[in-house]
Amino acid sequence: MSNVILEARALRKTYLSGDRRLEVLNDVAMTVARGESVSIRGESGSGKSTLLHLLAGLDQPDAGEVLWAGSTDTGTGRRAKFLGMVFQSFYLIPELDALENVVMAMRMVGPVGSAERDRAKAMLARVGLAERAHHVPAHLSGGERQRVAVARALINSPQLILADEPTGNLDEKTGDAVIALLLQLCAETQTALVLVTHNAAHAAKTSRSLLMHNGALNTA
Amino acid sequence: MPWYLYLALKQLFPTGKKFPFFTAISVLGVALGVALLVVSISVMGGFGHEIRRMIVDTQGDVQIRGSGLVNNPKAIMGLVAKVPGVTGVTPFAEGVVMLEYNRKPIFPGIQGIDLTHINDVIPLTRYIHNGTLGDLDDDTIILSSQLAYSIGANVGDKVQISSPLQLEKLKNDEVFLPRELTISGIFEIGHQQLDSSTVLVTLRRMQDLYGLGNAVHGFDVKIVDGLDPDVVTRRINAALPPASGLEARSWMELNQDFLFVLQLEKNLIFILLLFIVVVAAFSVTSSLLISVVRKTREIGLLGALGGSPREVALCFCFQGLLIGVSGTVCGLAFGFGFLHVRNDILHLFTKLTGSQEALERFYQFSNVPAYLQPGDLLLIIASTIVISTMAGIIPAWRAARLKPVEALRNE
Ligand SMILES: Nc1ncnc2c1ncn2[C@@H]1O[C@H](COP(=O)(O)OP(=O)(O)OP(=O)(O)O)[C@@H](O)[C@H]1O
Ligand SMILES: [Mg+2]
Repeated sequence: MSNVILEARALRKTYLSGDRRLEVLNDVAMTVARGESVSIRGESGSGKSTLLHLLAGLDQPDAGEVLWAGSTDTGTGRRAKFLGMVFQSFYLIPELDALENVVMAMRMVGPVGSAERDRAKAMLARVGLAERAHHVPAHLSGGERQRVAVARALINSPQLILADEPTGNLDEKTGDAVIALLLQLCAETQTALVLVTHNAAHAAKTSRSLLMHNGALNTA
Repeated sequence: MPWYLYLALKQLFPTGKKFPFFTAISVLGVALGVALLVVSISVMGGFGHEIRRMIVDTQGDVQIRGSGLVNNPKAIMGLVAKVPGVTGVTPFAEGVVMLEYNRKPIFPGIQGIDLTHINDVIPLTRYIHNGTLGDLDDDTIILSSQLAYSIGANVGDKVQISSPLQLEKLKNDEVFLPRELTISGIFEIGHQQLDSSTVLVTLRRMQDLYGLGNAVHGFDVKIVDGLDPDVVTRRINAALPPASGLEARSWMELNQDFLFVLQLEKNLIFILLLFIVVVAAFSVTSSLLISVVRKTREIGLLGALGGSPREVALCFCFQGLLIGVSGTVCGLAFGFGFLHVRNDILHLFTKLTGSQEALERFYQFSNVPAYLQPGDLLLIIASTIVISTMAGIIPAWRAARLKPVEALRNE
């Protein structure tokens, strides 16, 4: 089973809003193998982000468990090394330029020297932003910002990328380019990818497509 | 450098921004508090230092007095001089006289000094501006500067001195002639009270005026620099014959009420001015809190990147610390800069307001002294840095409490 990077078992998540119980996830199970790309689609409010947060260890399920490469340890100590995340709003740190934003992820796992900085530069070049390394987010376009976020997610050579609607704030053409880049980089580095998207065309490009409906995850 | 320290630095001094406005304002607030503390405590310390110096310069480190007259001054001096730590002993006799110049009488305090020993204890020469101590003999007198000025007398002029003893004779219808002494010098200690109403004569002249014979009133003692005066005082008391009725007291003991008030004043000023730093710290807290709220999503992101709540908290605490340190450095620079030009400012001010004379009369100093004890400096630095670090604690706690999921959902 060493080939399974991510496993979710019988995940259950319920929110209390007022006196109403909202069963968002009801017995969700999934496995992702090394280097595999999986897309999740589903209507708005179906619980895709909720699931992704559980998979990332940022939130705890009411029942069930999440395993990273076979281990239930999904704490902060392991997160920086094990997974990278990409979000709809890019969440770059506005005080840092593009390069420093990528380097910030490296600082989370260890000391940063010139070798690390060179690696970050190479990664920025890889996402086509070699010329933009010293621009702050405010001076980058949406597509460029998302590519910085992709570079940041990949810089620590994680085994898993979790992407939550990474093209939601981009126009179609830019979005297509970002998805193509993300898929290509993940394939090259044998990184598993879980991609939440509303875009059927993007979903079709992944090796497996899942559908979130009524709190359960089904093969599309 | 751990990521949270790096990020703290960058949030205060963002990349590509020439002038970090928010940071500058916060730092300035702390700096003003520190500068004010440094200036006030230095000037307070300067006055205190000046006053201590004057006390020691005019009465020695230790003073020996008895209930009455000391009839065997030579023997006592011999005993005291042998006490380890004592470098000089000089006898004195003191009183009040009537001094007349141009038929204008005044009643200054008078000190009889022993010319052979005075220089071992009291650096009088340093304070004599006209004439020299060497010119003082049994027929001459040294006046304090204000006193000489007020009666319009100068070196070479003659004044008449009468003592209470001589006035006593008048009651018995005896004829007496005031002693006529020539002014041989003018001294100025820098302390208005001493400068306005003291005259110095030789011990022999004083003994004559007061009919003391060979007796004196007491002794001023100088000790080795750096020795604790109280320790030497104890040794002297052990050496003094119990029957003599003499007691040695250190200058600190003699002036303890005054020194206590001086210290109390300084402590009060310190606490009051520290509140400026506290107020500045509140503004640091509020601006950091605003930054936590504004950066909610980025704080969520830090969690997603692998940062722990503890590290996020440290990031904000460190911002408080950084503001504190920068504020302290700037404040020290402002403070010491201001102290450097304090006398120029004072002189400009007195020139503009024509208040030079009033200033000297009421404050007894013509220059503003400044002296900052290393301990006080350390206290200012430490308390400022502690207070501003504490200013980061509430924002840090708020940031650490944010759940990454909720922070990320925050639109
Ligand atoms: N903290 C919360 N308290 C109460 N309800 C919540 C909370 N977080 C999410 N929900 C609810 O859970 C449901 C699932 O939310 P989620 O964000 O996972 O949906 P989603 O599939 O990602 O939707 P979208 O496609 O619009 O991003 C929604 O109905 C939402 O209102
Ligand atoms: Mg969502």
